Amino acid sequence: MRKVTLGFAVVVVLVGALVVASYGGAAKKAPASPSHAKVSGTVTMLAVWTGAEGDSFKAVLAGFKKKNPNITVKYKSATDPAAALSTAIQGGNPPNLAALPNPGLMKDFAGRGAVKPITFAKGTVAKNYSSDWVKFGTVNGKLYGVFFKGANKSTVWYNVHSFKNAGVKPPKSWSSLLTTAKTLRASGATAYSIGGADGWTLTDLFENLYIRNAGPAKYDLLSDHKIPWTDASVKSTLKLMAQVFSDTSNIAGNPLQTDFPTSVTNVFQPSKPKAAMVFEGDFVPSAAAGQTKAKPKKDYNVFPFPSVNGKGGDYVVGGGDVVCLFKDTPAARALITYLASPGAAEIWAKRGGFSSPNKNVNPSVYPDDITRTTASALAKASTFRFDMSDLAPQAFGSQDEFSDLQAFLKNPKNINGIAAKLEKDAKAGYKK
Amino acid sequence: MAVAEVRQPALRSDVTPMTIGQRFAKVPLNVFLLVVALLWVLPAAGLFVTSVLPKDIANASGWWNVFSKPSEVTFENYRNMFNNDTITHALWVTAQVTLGATVLPVLLASFAAYALAWIDFPGRDIAFVGVVGLMVVPIQMALIPIFSLYNKLNLFDTIPGLVLFHTAFALPFAIFLLRNFFAGIPKDLMEAARIDGAGEWKLFFKVVLPLGLPAIAALGIFQVLFVWNDFLVGFTLAQDNVPIAPALAGQLRQFGSNLDVIAPASFFSAVIPLTIFALFQRYFVQGLLAGSVK
Amino acid sequence: MTSTSVGAEFPDVVRTPPAPPPVSPFRQVLLPFSFFGPALLLLSVFLIYPAIATVIRALFDDRGKKFVWLDNFDRMFSDDIIYTAIKNNVIWIAIAPLTVTLLGLVLAVLNERISWASAFKVVLFLPLAISLFAVGVIWRIVYQQDPDQGLLNAGITVAHDVFTPPGVLHNALPSGNALSNRFVLKQPIAAGDTAKLALTGILPEDVPSGAKQAVDPKPESGKITGVVWRDFKPGGGKIGVVEKGELGIPGASIDLLKDGKKVGSAKTDDGGGFTFDGVSGSGYTMQIAPATFRAPFGGVEWLGASLVVPAIIIAFLWTAVGFAMVVIGAGLAAISRDVLEAARTDGASEFQIFRRVTVPLLMPVLTVVFVTQMIGVLKVFDIIYAIAPGSVRNDATTLAFEMWRRSFSGQNQFGFGAAIASFLMLLFLPYLIYQVRSQRKNA
Repeated sequence: MRKVTLGFAVVVVLVGALVVASYGGAAKKAPASPSHAKVSGTVTMLAVWTGAEGDSFKAVLAGFKKKNPNITVKYKSATDPAAALSTAIQGGNPPNLAALPNPGLMKDFAGRGAVKPITFAKGTVAKNYSSDWVKFGTVNGKLYGVFFKGANKSTVWYNVHSFKNAGVKPPKSWSSLLTTAKTLRASGATAYSIGGADGWTLTDLFENLYIRNAGPAKYDLLSDHKIPWTDASVKSTLKLMAQVFSDTSNIAGNPLQTDFPTSVTNVFQPSKPKAAMVFEGDFVPSAAAGQTKAKPKKDYNVFPFPSVNGKGGDYVVGGGDVVCLFKDTPAARALITYLASPGAAEIWAKRGGFSSPNKNVNPSVYPDDITRTTASALAKASTFRFDMSDLAPQAFGSQDEFSDLQAFLKNPKNINGIAAKLEKDAKAGYKK
Repeated sequence: MAVAEVRQPALRSDVTPMTIGQRFAKVPLNVFLLVVALLWVLPAAGLFVTSVLPKDIANASGWWNVFSKPSEVTFENYRNMFNNDTITHALWVTAQVTLGATVLPVLLASFAAYALAWIDFPGRDIAFVGVVGLMVVPIQMALIPIFSLYNKLNLFDTIPGLVLFHTAFALPFAIFLLRNFFAGIPKDLMEAARIDGAGEWKLFFKVVLPLGLPAIAALGIFQVLFVWNDFLVGFTLAQDNVPIAPALAGQLRQFGSNLDVIAPASFFSAVIPLTIFALFQRYFVQGLLAGSVK
Repeated sequence: MTSTSVGAEFPDVVRTPPAPPPVSPFRQVLLPFSFFGPALLLLSVFLIYPAIATVIRALFDDRGKKFVWLDNFDRMFSDDIIYTAIKNNVIWIAIAPLTVTLLGLVLAVLNERISWASAFKVVLFLPLAISLFAVGVIWRIVYQQDPDQGLLNAGITVAHDVFTPPGVLHNALPSGNALSNRFVLKQPIAAGDTAKLALTGILPEDVPSGAKQAVDPKPESGKITGVVWRDFKPGGGKIGVVEKGELGIPGASIDLLKDGKKVGSAKTDDGGGFTFDGVSGSGYTMQIAPATFRAPFGGVEWLGASLVVPAIIIAFLWTAVGFAMVVIGAGLAAISRDVLEAARTDGASEFQIFRRVTVPLLMPVLTVVFVTQMIGVLKVFDIIYAIAPGSVRNDATTLAFEMWRRSFSGQNQFGFGAAIASFLMLLFLPYLIYQVRSQRKNA
């Protein structure tokens, strides 16, 4: 046979060198502690905000630049920050800061040492946030994140004309919501719009029902998977969901093929809406912005998620974007501290489409009544809980739980089967 | 031309060629192909019509309704697109990356293909099969290792970084195509040049490269199409200097498919590769064929 | 047949390796390396190294810390979604490459006979110029289930409505218990009785124009009188009772039946009232004509779990057939006219020529198209990502897609993803063997 050729030898050497280089990366030195003196440098930041939201966030960053003229912030938006970040972290070059869509992801990253604790900002955060929100930003006793943008997910949006035609008022309890839906149907309208193609709309509905039906204590247990998904409280909540899901002639279109934005535009129409109500959070109007001609109050409005068995009328389940530190520099520390201040939040709050979890934000800066209502409900809730699927490990809370509830939407009779499937997937998801 | 030794099928010879029938047969044929063409155009036409509709109307009902209300047409979406710095910068980046990632692989592949076709060296056949085998490596597999490497070499978010990545992944097919094409150059021609005292480099530039032009042109067009429309590579390996496809994805608002942004930009970005294909169609076809078929 | 080289520019030359040049260290090592070296360098860095790194990575856990031998592969083959992915890959491979090649062949042959061949080529090539990202957007619109939005279902609806037009009150429901779900009066009715056919679920704007306040029917002997009305006023109203502000439904047709046979029919007036004269006895039944309530066509769920794979394959064909046609068309153009003419004068029909002459001569081109499609299909990723809605990703997935999803979509299962990638490379092995063998044959 032929002897080893030069080309082959070169390949072997090269590949060897690369393998060594990639597996033996030297640890980088931690940066010097920040001084309150003039900080300068560049900060990179990644978040999900684009379009109008991106412009608003850039306005927030402009406010930072005014205070810190020597720091340049490079902002990049990504539709799927989790995907962008996991590549960046694997490759060893994450941005300085990133706004994560949920604390579950933060926990994941903290577990693998990708995010750094922000103990230096503890004072600012404690001053501006309620203890609930500080807790959500804490992993194993260390503060890791600042919640910059909050979301109140305990809201139901409705078409004003449909409600008027049917002669119904926003219901206060779950049972009167079901009656309202029947009346809407009798009036010729279709009551529900469900964005079931996006699984998270279904987990949000489940969570709102669960916290009211089972109570906050059980909610916490289920969040940590300390009780199984086959628990009676889960099954009775699924039964409540099935009351909506099985009313198929009262749901617009095919809910499994309806994505969230469509579920909103179904309702947000000045005339001939495809449905009268949609369950989702305070960000619903921004999903419809520019897509329809519907006007707030005149064409659409909002009511709080109704109580179940008389409980939970003012409970709020919500979410939030948590800003975390991936690469520690003095400039990055300055930015994350700034984002925890009420001044930063008020810049965006004024522009609309924003609820701040920061308790020192002045409510008068919100641009309209609807936003003020949903935002202060977030602040004033007697009980606030974080979106459960956002707290769960990604593999369960953002993947399997979605598809399981989608299967339930398809076949709402199969309560025991779905509960068992959820438990099986949760077991696998929480193990990792 | 080429095809000399074809097994003649045993055929009856008592039928005369159809003439009138043929002429009539053309009508259904034309109609059939027209229908096929229509089927092919319709989905893309939807994108175009959507791109000239205001967004609230585009969302409310199917795009074909425009034909009953043509007054709704607006070029506002296009105006917004050109006023958007991110998009215009992305188009500029795309142009540079496409140029680099077309010229470089063609050049490198030509060198390699020449060596594989006309220079005898040990392990040559194995090398060729190896190169062809690399055609199957999926791009996704390289993302993480290359991402790490680029950060060490400061190639992340640079145009050379994108060009090199695209070049590498274009090489297997390019070498395969060109090697087969070059191998078809008459030996006499090469021998004559060698006798005239031409060295390998001279031979390459004076004989092989000019003769290989059709294949090179074909390759070039293919590469332009591919690089211009790339999403994954630009998305992963760039941050501020992203090409058009990932830049567009970045323009999506958090919820929904923002047709008012996607439709005009997709359409506009398709115009350039399509023009290149329409203009160079002939070379593309000739070259591809000559190289890949043997 | 193997020695027939279609379309090659210099086919008369028998390909033998060039004569060995005088051996010198320079010629043997440095010279070929100076040509081949740069390409080799890039291939090593960007393809060979990642491929090897991936196989090694597959033997570690998801965090890359622990060596786990073949655990990832073990997990892979007990995973339901991977099973679906493999099944879908088989479907793709069985359908897509062959269909692309055949359609490309047929269109290329037909395209030769028309005067606007170039334009046709550009049109079929069009999808290739559009980024797969946009292709996804385009086809999601085409496949929308709502016939007001999705082109395909809109087309089907037009055809559907010709044969079975939707009813004017397709959204209506019976109100109360008097009517069955099929709008048949549940209790038999006799002469002198009144029938109150209450309907709900009708939007005010859907009530036929000209409707007036509904009138409660009065019993008359020898007749059956009745009313059809929208039994709803804001808040709901009293079910089954004609109230003020509730409109009659004009123009509805009512059938009177006895022993299952139709004995009469009537149309309602503006107040929804109707009368059947000259009836006697009892045992009648009554229904509102079913056509009034026929539901409109709701659209096919193209992107549902059961149809999503074929739907995506069709979108893929849209992008791939143009390329195949152009390549095969070029091969066709290179076939000597003389051969075809000879066959024609021998009296062969067009189909015979196609089957006995054209196809065999094109075999090498067809093989190339087919094989490149096979590779492309195994790698297919973007188009699934772009078209499949979130709710059916588990049904639409393939190995290449699943590999991306497990590693990059936030699941961070890098060991698992690498295992899928390694398995995928294994699937390419037959192709590699094919290449080696065809290379040997040529050498």
